[in-house]
Amino acid sequence: MNGPLLRHTWRANRLRLLAVCIALYAWGNLLPIIYSQFGAAFRDIFEQGIVPEAFANFGGGDIFSLAGSIALGFIHPIALILVSVFAVGFTTSAVAGERQRGTLEILLSRPVSRRKVYATLLIAALMFIALATTAFLAGVLTSSTVFEVMTEIDLSLLPLVWLNGFLMFSSFAAIGLAASVSFDRLAPAIGITIAILLVSYFLEIIGSLWPDAAFLQPYSLFHYLQTRAILMGEADPFAFALLGAVALVAIAWALIVFPRRDLAAPA
Amino acid sequence: MANYNAGAMTRRYAPLVAAIETVGLTKHYGRRALPVHPPFVHPTGLVRALDDLTIDVREGEVFGFLGPNGAGKSTMIRTLLGFLHPTAGRAQVLGLDVVRKSVEIRRRVGYLPGGVALHDSLSGEDQLDYMAALSSRPPVRRADLTDRLELPERTLKRRVRDYSRGMRQKIGIVQALQHDPELAILDEPTEGLDPLMQRAFYEILDDLQAAGRTVFFSSHVLSEVERVCDRVAIIRSGRLVALEEIDTLLAHRKRDVEMRVAGGLPVLAGVPGVTAIVEMDGRLTCHVEGDMGPFMRAIAGFPITDLTIEPAHLEEAFLEYYEDAEANAPGPAVARQREAG
Repeated sequence: MNGPLLRHTWRANRLRLLAVCIALYAWGNLLPIIYSQFGAAFRDIFEQGIVPEAFANFGGGDIFSLAGSIALGFIHPIALILVSVFAVGFTTSAVAGERQRGTLEILLSRPVSRRKVYATLLIAALMFIALATTAFLAGVLTSSTVFEVMTEIDLSLLPLVWLNGFLMFSSFAAIGLAASVSFDRLAPAIGITIAILLVSYFLEIIGSLWPDAAFLQPYSLFHYLQTRAILMGEADPFAFALLGAVALVAIAWALIVFPRRDLAAPA
Repeated sequence: MANYNAGAMTRRYAPLVAAIETVGLTKHYGRRALPVHPPFVHPTGLVRALDDLTIDVREGEVFGFLGPNGAGKSTMIRTLLGFLHPTAGRAQVLGLDVVRKSVEIRRRVGYLPGGVALHDSLSGEDQLDYMAALSSRPPVRRADLTDRLELPERTLKRRVRDYSRGMRQKIGIVQALQHDPELAILDEPTEGLDPLMQRAFYEILDDLQAAGRTVFFSSHVLSEVERVCDRVAIIRSGRLVALEEIDTLLAHRKRDVEMRVAGGLPVLAGVPGVTAIVEMDGRLTCHVEGDMGPFMRAIAGFPITDLTIEPAHLEEAFLEYYEDAEANAPGPAVARQREAG
């Protein structure tokens, strides 16, 4: 890891990180409020059959329990977009964007190996995602306490929820960074990473809303975001292992490709 | 024109210590089926960016590296710094292999890229601090450099995004030299600098050389190469076409001579080095190449009323080498056809 590069990266992203963390904290606050205030009413609507039952399970989340609403909060597009500011936006531009702008040139003219540059950027990305995930759960805890629904979940399981969310977004971050070191320009790096994320998201959501498409879910990384199962004491170690393995494969790709590839003059 | 090869170069320019040494350095580029760089997959569709390039740059000299756009100058520089991996041959910088010791090389080298890109969100001072921190060497020359390049503190406090092109170039120069590198690799260093700043930069180069530092200098501005460099290499299509001391190069160039004589004109036909003689109405013009002695002896005693000798310039030498190379060497298209065949 390179200290000056990490400090520079932190400094360049701190305001963005603050904004994302505040937004995620607010989003995390909102879900227990909706559950505590409107959860019973929504349950009645679903039980009356006005809305198809399949819609009561959006990517493994719902608003009929605190565990379900936390799960819904994690997989909701709002959370996805906010965390993707770092899991996709930061990672894809970290190398390909710097290269396109020409600033990678003077960074690599210094005595810093490419592996060190990569490791530093990966650590920065993981740090940002860890803080974003923490902000979301902090929001959940705050409003759960205020609205007195905290007793519905086992607090000792929250670190596992955090780890599961962190691993899932980190696997996307590792994919984004692997794409970033593989391309000379930002557009293909960001395009491929967003395509993987969207296809993965689509497979999970379509599978959760339409039982006939449920067989697609295991092919999605979002399927292994098992917030509700963890909070109900049914954590599957395979989900953690798979998310970790995906991240490791992407990291290995980057560590092989980046030091070996030619970096021609920026266009 | 000399045919440069590794053996001849070693014999003619064997240095005591080489700051940069390349032997048969070759770099081939190619097209990729995909825009990605998969491991262990090499590109197809060969383009020879560097071809069997053998150069040595002596420690303590200012070395000019010339060639038009696309000749391979940037490829050479990027290979020396480890951005590109050689296809064949070897290269050493400060005695260190460019492939295996790239990080150590960059610790001891200062680099100014052509059209330097800086972080727009940083102030000039923060940019320099960041570069110094990455260098892991104290910026011992910064105060002197910022003073000479007229970068006062209030200017350095402004964000880089507000800088003009010339200001950015000055920051680029300072970041390359502030840690007092043993070797400075400068790609078009005076691009965007006004004449006063160019002069200040030349003085900086003089001081670097006086301090025993080596400068590898790539430029399109031949007059400045002529002014600041000890030796110059000229490349074309990735091949070395000349490597000479500037003085030697200029001594062999043709000078334009024009004289007016009151009376009979001197007979210059057959005088060694004199060509293109034109006589008209008491005026004589010709080219003189190499030693001026025979020409001066031939005109001695004639009642010359006016004599103009245009000094040889690097530009003419450069163009002449290129015209010769064009006529004698296979061009890149031909070379590629041969390669494909």
